[in-house]
Amino acid sequence: MKRDKKVPSATALSSHIEKRIWEKAALYTGVVIIVALLPVFLRSIYVMHVLILTFIYVVAAVSLRTITISGQFPLAHAGFMGIGAYCAGMTSKWLGWPPWITIPTAGLVTMGIGMLMGYPFSRLRALYYAMGSLFFGIGVMQIIQAGGIWTGGYSGLIGISPLFPVTTAKIYYYYFFLGLTLVSIVALYRFEFCRIGMNLKAIAQSHLVASSVGINESWYRILVVGVGCFFVGMAGAGYAHYNQVLSPASFNFLATLWLVMYVLIGGIGSFAGPIIGTFILILIPEFFRDLRMYSPFISAAILGIVVYLMPQGLASIPQLVRTRVTERRNGKR
Amino acid sequence: MEQIVATLTNVLILSSMYILVALGFAFLFNILGIINLAHGAIYMVGGYFGLALIRLLGLNPWAALVLTGLSIATVGLFLERFCFRPFSGDFNRTVMICVVITVVLQTAVNIIAGTQILSLPPFVEGIFKIGPVSVSYERIVTFALGITLLVAIIWFVHRTKWGQQMRAISQNREGALLQGINVHYISALACFIGCGLAAIAGCLMGAYLGLGPFMGDFMLVKVLMIVILAGIGTISGIFIAGLILGALDSILPLFISGAPSDASVIAIVVVLLLIRPQGFFGHEA
Repeated sequence: MKRDKKVPSATALSSHIEKRIWEKAALYTGVVIIVALLPVFLRSIYVMHVLILTFIYVVAAVSLRTITISGQFPLAHAGFMGIGAYCAGMTSKWLGWPPWITIPTAGLVTMGIGMLMGYPFSRLRALYYAMGSLFFGIGVMQIIQAGGIWTGGYSGLIGISPLFPVTTAKIYYYYFFLGLTLVSIVALYRFEFCRIGMNLKAIAQSHLVASSVGINESWYRILVVGVGCFFVGMAGAGYAHYNQVLSPASFNFLATLWLVMYVLIGGIGSFAGPIIGTFILILIPEFFRDLRMYSPFISAAILGIVVYLMPQGLASIPQLVRTRVTERRNGKR
Repeated sequence: MEQIVATLTNVLILSSMYILVALGFAFLFNILGIINLAHGAIYMVGGYFGLALIRLLGLNPWAALVLTGLSIATVGLFLERFCFRPFSGDFNRTVMICVVITVVLQTAVNIIAGTQILSLPPFVEGIFKIGPVSVSYERIVTFALGITLLVAIIWFVHRTKWGQQMRAISQNREGALLQGINVHYISALACFIGCGLAAIAGCLMGAYLGLGPFMGDFMLVKVLMIVILAGIGTISGIFIAGLILGALDSILPLFISGAPSDASVIAIVVVLLLIRPQGFFGHEA
């Protein structure tokens, strides 16, 4: 690839960057407005239901990616979602707490459990961390299954109070979960690009160098797990109040793997990756709902296409196109 | 007495099956450097393939066992060439392709065979009796077959040229390349052996415990536990870790039943991992 011959001046460069920022801001606002107006055009309750589930999983996938920027690969994320969901479900069912209290409480409890797990687990590195957290996630769900009447055991927890009194109107849920998702995304974005996020990226690159310049490695690794778990716990709690029925099977090992797939298909390197990935991997198989048993093949096909054709995930498509165009233009010169 | 013997045979059979699958997984892990999350699905498909050979083609169970091992091993060659080799060194894409393989295999089996629990016919019938002790021949044969395969694998890894090349690659990949070892060839061989072992274990477990489309997930978790407990880059550690897990899985349910016993197995594994973060016999990742 050839370099551009003319060197842009400093003012031209800064105005160029400013333009890019405005373009991005306009793009994001446009997307948010379109998503917020969707219920006006879509009258179908089923489509709304799928979109609400997608919002919940977007929060989970984005928070999973936030943990990975510190170089840890957590495979317990569905387990944490389960902790949040069961915490909200049990406090709501057995203590009669209203959803407006159970959801933040579930977030805080999940954060506490995540940080308690993070403390001993910060000794483990790379693959051993991934596998240790995988076993932790499975273990948590098995403890919940063993909970007898309190957690509902294998058959699941029923009778959780709904978020809104009118259960049939999905529109309230839609805007509630849209708001929750937007708040979580903005919060996690700010978290990633503030000083703490920079420290975490430094740890991911080399934990030895990072600790030699005074970054407390284990504390930051515990902190990021806590932050990620807070949001996934809230997502799980929202899921519990939305669905009103919880089953341990929704948070097992496979659920974690699918969360990881949402992140990887979108591209683990970019912030938008998990958001795009979740939408693609949940919505496209829904179009082929009539295929019933064959529909997992659709998900597998999407994954296969991305694996073979887009090494950096779906979020890298603009990048790929840009490189291709520049190459062609330079080639013609 | 009766119960002690039954538990002991359970421990031995479960351990030998766990070790068979975990050895294949460890081959792929040490030589290709990938975490083959599709290993559970391959194990499951092995069981169903054997069942199809026996039921549909009416083969003798023993012939079906051998044929299953060979055919799934050939599938392993295909997987190595088209699914693992293009992404070598890229952890994320390897995980994705493994999930693709798992989803495709599980869905296919689910559509063809349904979700009900099937069972392979027993390889041998009859019960072996000495005084008060009685063990079915089926169990003895399963165990003996497992042990024979394991001994053969150990002999292969330690005494043949291919095995030595495998060990060289798992110790130092670049060094092995410099010595003129054909890494692709050895990787294909490792895939061949790993998938074949998983398929044979699938057949044996299918006769022992029954077949279901999602039995691979359970086995995959067990195998991950064994390999991580043993540590990366070790073969002998797998035997000890496999024995520990087999013993836990067959002895704990005697005292605690149902989900609590599974949870305590996981808790024990996590604690062991925290005590030795790099596994019992391995080196730092």
